[in-house]
Amino acid sequence: MKHLYYSALILIILSTLCSCHSPKQDNAGRYVVLSPEIAEIIVALGAGDKIVGLTQECSYPPELLEKEIVGNFGAVKMEQILNLNPELVFTSALEQESIAEDLRKLGIRVESSYPKNLAEMQTEILRIAVIIGREAKGRELVSSIAGQIQKVKEMAEGRPVPKVYLEIYRDPLMSVADNSFVGELIETAGGDNVFQTLERDYSRIKAEDVIKANPDIMICYSQDSLSDIISRKGWGNIPAIKNQMVFFEGDIDPDLIQRAGPRCVIGMIKLNEIYALWERLTQ
Amino acid sequence: MKKSLALVLICLGSLALIALYLFWGHPSSNIFWQVRIPRLVLTLVTGMSLAAIGSVYQLMLANPLAEPYILGISSGSAFGSIIFASLGLYILMPLGGFIGALITMVLVWRLAQRRGAFDRGRLIIAGVIVGMFFSAGISLMMYLRREDTVLILNTLMGNLGRIFSYSEYRVFVLLSAVILILLIWLYLKSRALDIMSSGDLYAASVGIQVHRLRQHIFVVTSLIIGIVVSYAGIIGFVGLITPHIMRLLGFSRQNRIYPGSLLFGASFLLAADFLAKNMAGIELPVGVITAAIGCPFFIYLLLRK
Repeated sequence: MKHLYYSALILIILSTLCSCHSPKQDNAGRYVVLSPEIAEIIVALGAGDKIVGLTQECSYPPELLEKEIVGNFGAVKMEQILNLNPELVFTSALEQESIAEDLRKLGIRVESSYPKNLAEMQTEILRIAVIIGREAKGRELVSSIAGQIQKVKEMAEGRPVPKVYLEIYRDPLMSVADNSFVGELIETAGGDNVFQTLERDYSRIKAEDVIKANPDIMICYSQDSLSDIISRKGWGNIPAIKNQMVFFEGDIDPDLIQRAGPRCVIGMIKLNEIYALWERLTQ
Repeated sequence: MKKSLALVLICLGSLALIALYLFWGHPSSNIFWQVRIPRLVLTLVTGMSLAAIGSVYQLMLANPLAEPYILGISSGSAFGSIIFASLGLYILMPLGGFIGALITMVLVWRLAQRRGAFDRGRLIIAGVIVGMFFSAGISLMMYLRREDTVLILNTLMGNLGRIFSYSEYRVFVLLSAVILILLIWLYLKSRALDIMSSGDLYAASVGIQVHRLRQHIFVVTSLIIGIVVSYAGIIGFVGLITPHIMRLLGFSRQNRIYPGSLLFGASFLLAADFLAKNMAGIELPVGVITAAIGCPFFIYLLLRK
């Protein structure tokens, strides 16, 4: 009798386990996007309505604010993503590489995109456009971006070139290299990023090197205030600080120049305006 | 003879190191005075404090593995300064570190008492447990505040490259002076510590107020650690190996080990920071360097004995 009970129990458990198969319902055109820049690109391609889940950082354009949040850039809730039953999940690099790996193990199709420069950004926009079936719109967007980049280059031509220092963190000091995405924007807009090469695109730097580089313009994303920057020991003679050519998040939104998305052209125009202001006031 | 030769060599070596540290790469006078001198002061004060406290703890706790961070003060201090940083109060980080150290200190001291009596074993256990608690807090902050990961890592692995504002620097110089006075006070207690290491009863019989002295030393060392960690983060190994090196050189009495540790700790950290700054294109965390040089050097000394 006892044996019968056990066998029945095992049978029930086994049959329950066997019925756990992935629900392959119709999920065409449902995208979960973990990378803020890809979210912007998808909206620009006119497919914002197909996004069903996002990370906290994906806050632009405002229409995305109504979508379901599945976590933040570095930590997502896997079950929530599965529940959304996406056809495709878009991820970036860095912390998201391991998330992408986990999602693939769960049998979900993942597309990663992490453009490191303007040229890559344009090919990536096209690739994403093809993936989501908006190829024509993609071509249109890329050619408009290319045209705007050309315009920015023309605006910068023949103007004096300011040395630009971008501070992304204060303690420890961190800045960007020329071959980072931001670095390329700074240079394309007509400035000279002070750190040509660093160990990484975004890297720790020495205070001594900033003082030595003598930047004309400082862009400060490290939450520091002008009065604090002025009072830093040994920084008072840096032209950017002496002439108060220090710009903050309120002056130029970090998302405009740190995200490899369509808005980066606006970022470059803003940078160009800052350079023009510097030229007017100091040259 | 061998001992004094070693000391003379360490002295000369540290002078050479200071010169190298200050003049490497031909800094402009602005950089020299405003960046390098403050960093030199911070490095020397930190190295001296860690080594000095290491020597005192190893004796007082009768534990060769004791080091300045064993009583959890460092984790408390680091947690305090990280909390302040994550609130955006970067300038007040040392204050946060100090408050963290104070809270930890009171907590550990209370836990170490058993029916009014001090218990060495309890003190270490209390220190380790409280330290673990704050370490968990630090991990939590690191997880929740991704944007501050670098800052937290920096605090955990040591960073002597702090940028001072003029007013911050004034406060720091003042606190350094306080540390120096406290370090001298600790030196004056060398004899009493030596006697105490032979047992509380014996120490009391020669007129040392054991309980009070221990309490004072605990408060003083906690203050020093609080200040040091809040400016430089947690830098391992200096406090652990320096007193051992002094003993391996042949010193046995605390009034010799202590000043020797002060000297060696400062020069060792200076050398480590010099390497951390200049070895690679990117500045490396100094705590990694102290461990990387410290371990093999220590093994060499052990094998030679």
